[in-house]
Amino acid sequence: MSETPLASLSRRSFMTGSVSAAAAGPLMATSAKAAAPQPAASAEPRDLSAISLRINKQPYNLALDNRTSLLDALRDHVGLTGTKKGCDHGQCGACTVLVDGKRVLSCLSFAVMNKGHEITTVEGLASADGNLHPMQQAFIDNDAFQCGYCTPGQIMSAIGCINEGHAGSEGDIREYMSGNLCRCAAYPNIVAAIMQAQDETRKA
Amino acid sequence: MRPFVYERPASVSAAAAIASRFAAEGVPPTEAAAQFIAGGTNLADYMRLGVAQPARLVDLNGLGDRALRQIEVGDDSIRFGALVRMGEAADTGEIKRRCPMLAESLKFAASGQIRNMASLAGNVLQRTRCEYFRETSWPCNKREPGSGCAAMEGFNRQHAVLGTSNACIATYHGDFAQALIALGATVEVEARRGMRKIAFSRLHRLPRDTPNVETELAPDEVITAIEVPLGAWSRRSRYVKIRDRESYAFALASAAVALDMDGDTVSQARIALGGVATVPWRARAAEEALSGKALDDEAAEAAAEAAFAEAKPREHNAFKIPLGKRTLVRALLETRDMKV
Amino acid sequence: MNQAAPAPKENMGNPVPRIDARLKVTGQAGYSADLPTANMAYGALATSSIAKGSITAVRLEKARKVPGVLDIVSVGDMDGIDKPKFGNTGASSIAPLHDKAIFHDGQIIALVVAETFEAAEEAAALIRADYAEETPSAGFDSRGTEMEPAAGKSPLFKEDVKAGDFDAAYAAAAVKIDEKYSTPTQHHNPIELFSTTAVWQGDQLTVYEPSQNVTGWKAELARQLKIDPANVRIVSPYVGGAFGSKGPMTARTAIVAVAARSVGRPVRCVVSRIQAYGTQTYRAETRHRIRIGANQDGRITAFAHEGWEVTSRPDPYVVGGTSATGRMYDYGSVLTHVSLVHADRNTPGYMRSPPETPYVYALENAMDEMAVALGMDPVEFRRVNEPQKEPIGGKPFSSRSLVKCYDQAAEAFGWSKREAAVGSMRDGDWLVGMGCATAIYPTAAAPCAARVRLTTDGEVRVQCGSHEIGTGVRTVAAQMAAERLGIEMDKVSVEMGDSALPPAPVSGGSISTASVCSAVLKACDAVRAKLFAAAVAEAGPLAGSGNAKLEMSQEKIVADNGKSAKLSDVFKTMQIGAIEEYAEFAPKGSSPEALKKLYAGQSEFHGGDQDKDSVKYAFGAEFVEVRINSHTREIRVPRIVGAFAAGRIMNTRTARSQLMGGMIWGIGQALHEATEIDKRHARYVNRDLQDYLVPVNADVKQLEVILVPEIDHEVNPAGVKGLGELGNVGTAAAVASAVYHATGKRIRDLPIRIDHLIV
Repeated sequence: MSETPLASLSRRSFMTGSVSAAAAGPLMATSAKAAAPQPAASAEPRDLSAISLRINKQPYNLALDNRTSLLDALRDHVGLTGTKKGCDHGQCGACTVLVDGKRVLSCLSFAVMNKGHEITTVEGLASADGNLHPMQQAFIDNDAFQCGYCTPGQIMSAIGCINEGHAGSEGDIREYMSGNLCRCAAYPNIVAAIMQAQDETRKA
Repeated sequence: MRPFVYERPASVSAAAAIASRFAAEGVPPTEAAAQFIAGGTNLADYMRLGVAQPARLVDLNGLGDRALRQIEVGDDSIRFGALVRMGEAADTGEIKRRCPMLAESLKFAASGQIRNMASLAGNVLQRTRCEYFRETSWPCNKREPGSGCAAMEGFNRQHAVLGTSNACIATYHGDFAQALIALGATVEVEARRGMRKIAFSRLHRLPRDTPNVETELAPDEVITAIEVPLGAWSRRSRYVKIRDRESYAFALASAAVALDMDGDTVSQARIALGGVATVPWRARAAEEALSGKALDDEAAEAAAEAAFAEAKPREHNAFKIPLGKRTLVRALLETRDMKV
Repeated sequence: MNQAAPAPKENMGNPVPRIDARLKVTGQAGYSADLPTANMAYGALATSSIAKGSITAVRLEKARKVPGVLDIVSVGDMDGIDKPKFGNTGASSIAPLHDKAIFHDGQIIALVVAETFEAAEEAAALIRADYAEETPSAGFDSRGTEMEPAAGKSPLFKEDVKAGDFDAAYAAAAVKIDEKYSTPTQHHNPIELFSTTAVWQGDQLTVYEPSQNVTGWKAELARQLKIDPANVRIVSPYVGGAFGSKGPMTARTAIVAVAARSVGRPVRCVVSRIQAYGTQTYRAETRHRIRIGANQDGRITAFAHEGWEVTSRPDPYVVGGTSATGRMYDYGSVLTHVSLVHADRNTPGYMRSPPETPYVYALENAMDEMAVALGMDPVEFRRVNEPQKEPIGGKPFSSRSLVKCYDQAAEAFGWSKREAAVGSMRDGDWLVGMGCATAIYPTAAAPCAARVRLTTDGEVRVQCGSHEIGTGVRTVAAQMAAERLGIEMDKVSVEMGDSALPPAPVSGGSISTASVCSAVLKACDAVRAKLFAAAVAEAGPLAGSGNAKLEMSQEKIVADNGKSAKLSDVFKTMQIGAIEEYAEFAPKGSSPEALKKLYAGQSEFHGGDQDKDSVKYAFGAEFVEVRINSHTREIRVPRIVGAFAAGRIMNTRTARSQLMGGMIWGIGQALHEATEIDKRHARYVNRDLQDYLVPVNADVKQLEVILVPEIDHEVNPAGVKGLGELGNVGTAAAVASAVYHATGKRIRDLPIRIDHLIV
């Protein structure tokens, strides 16, 4: 019961659960209005905005409060809870996702500012047949986590770090991965995992 | 967080027009009803804390002008579009080569993720991290003019020793700005009434009696570019940042140093100090102390003494004075010894 | 085999990967605030901005007007609910919303429930209270604090240990020191935010909340809500870091449950990072005075350790590390005394090795000072004072491998290359210093239940209401079952973190692996007994092998006479599809009520210094190299080596990771972590991860963990000593001694920062 992967749980519950109720109930009621083209000047602060996001190559049409962070949009409105909230102020890195291939902090980004961008979360890494991304496998091989909470952010940041060309040495990895706190302090293992996965990640 | 209207104009003039519509006499940009957002790393944080309360956010990321996203490295200057992200500027090979201080001040700031998000213009406008400013239940002259300063007699280890006033001792924490002020950069701004250039050294205002007014900018002025002149000093330049931990922390003290050397003698020194002052801080007295001198330990120490001659310590930040001096000495000697 | 998966030595299990690893790297592991709930409303807290006084009015008007606000629970809305209690299960007796008294900064004054997170936060920020404010006492050196002896104030700290005549021995000692040390307030800051999700279905309440004690919380929450514990379920399948912070239940849990009942909807309240500083527990600030007297040959004759600890006004939370420091070496005479200082603060609580971290820091820093005073090598000084028996009760150690740890760590570190003279080592602009210290942590276990099911096709399911807080307890429980039942790991599943499962003790005190594995072992042995009996019965596949020794391996029952039978064949003869066994483990010396208490959510610890026959501790030795910039004095720890002996190591991978994490915690203790307080107002100042610094990746360069083989059959049936809290004990003292070695400056107040060294 407690080992049930979340995906199956959330997919099922989501049909009847948070989208239709917590989010979709009040949201959908106003979404039609929000989605309709309106002159900017007449907009009210509490109006929901119609937002189309591409997340893990899937399109999503949402009606969101302008205040909703990309992080909360992912977690509470799309049901992708792999991305974690650790501070909500850009201080821990747990919410790291890729936007157009670059790592960013989803807690400091309003969802409404991400229209038209390609967002990749930890759920979008493994291939459809279930094969793990090389970075995910490397994290397992090197025990690069303990509690696992910061792990999605670490993995996304690690991939971003390699994409940026900042994973050339252990020293570079340590420096450029310092925006991702790991309170269990798996740092040396995280560095080892990135060293292991960097060649394959570049090819991936 | 207060709810806000979101707008995404397509041009600088449209952005300025929106801001202008909601601007009010005597209200600084940080308190304006309509505020600009680019990376959001600073503003979103402060909105969530309730410190910033714009009723309208004007997203600059839809601006069409390509120059806003470009870096042009010319023979005698580097021009940064305002929307260039910190990470991109830090990684530009030409900048690392031509003016290492600029790239280092960006690389040592924040984290990889934040550097990917934060625009250069937004970065230089970042607001203080004073704990009493960040928490709205404390009195704070910067946040609530006239309410008092809780930091003055409170826990003030991270606070400024230079440029303080009786109203405010909050530190300016940015790094890039130290490089810009040392190098004599210029900021280009645009409003409906036209364009103007502001010397970077005039962009930030000392707190004096009005710490809530942080810059020379009007609420409807959009920074469009930052121009940094290059000179004989550019290649021999460094940014030394001292922190409690190895990375991802604000400076306890930092020094941006650029030197034009004639043999062992300093023809021109350009020096700025971070982590110790209320605004980006050009250390002119230190520059003058070095001018025409051979840069040995003694000269470096004399320059450091000059830089901190006016420093005013509080209960917990007195260490910043010796630390600031030694940071400058170290930066001077390391810069002197650079192979260029 | 990589660095993360050390080859097992004697009495060590294989470094199998964590069984939940795939879920964790794919984002599928469901932490409490991830679990989807239908029709959920969002909660946000409002907290006090004063530390002492009482609320005269809470102003809710503006908050109520925020569109989407459903309800606000505030002062006076907890009528009919019992107040929280301070103790092993409850964090504090302070009862926000029950009454108007304010005991500390950041105390909850209201909970807003709204349709959306944004509305809840907006409304909570608009709540203001009027207070009758009094001048608070922040802690040490503040006026208005109350001091009292700690002994007897907590069931965990009964007495100030002593032995012999300290005064006489100290007076007569040839070499002596008398020094004071201090450690700051610290907050756990697990990266997972604290949260409560309360879901009512009729009179049944389910709470999703990161917890280290689901069974205890079930009982405590039922008590507060005055409902039948059978109607309460606590679910916490994965915990995103705990370190003690999720051990005691805080006042928020019942408040959210009340709010959910009031609005008739599930309510999720995720506490902001900032608000956690005032609403959760933390490591108490401590001060120490240590006196050591020794003969010229380095033999200690007198040891005195006095401690002072800050706690809240109403609750006597005791750190009390003298029971460990008083037993560390062969002292001759021992005098200890611990005092509590009551101030206007929230109640502290357990934080990773709560007593040992501050007290052993003080002891080991003093030991290094004493070695300097004696002109001895600090390792040799400890070797000379290695005890045969512990000095307080004269009991033997069940096992003590400290000297082996020192030998192996010193060798790996290259201690022999250290030049003893202060300031003698340098690398360019960097001053180099080396230091060492002892790590110690008591070995305990508590009653625990587990259920194990084995099916005819070799699938094993282990159920136990323990908690996966990152230690790898799911993995080692699976390993224990796999090993005992002869099944491959991939056929074992483990369910934990739910009060509907067989009860387990609080996941604290480093007892989980020992307690859980002992219970799982017992359940597996009951399964084996049934299978073995059926196998050798007349109709069984191993009929006639009744006298043979039987084992289980590769889904077979194997006799030492060479015969074997497939598991499925044994099941066939039994005509059943599965065997399920429920086992209860109680450590030696448990009280007659111990198991009953287990079901009531109370954990009865045994071991450490409590047992009659011996004292039980795990030991380690840590060596660090520090580098300090000669100009700017920033302090870095580029190299750290620790050797640890902790009985049976179930899994060298998870054990190494825990010790490694502990050592890095130790670096943080030494150099970074401190919650600063504004003394005028008794308010925390640096309440986030920007100003409360913890180590980042770049702070750790070379780190080596050495697992020293040790066999100890006395500690518990599994032979396991806990090690989750061992690695961060002593580290800060090793850093302090290395800083002294590099600079000649003895820093006695943590954290050690530039401020100390720059002037």
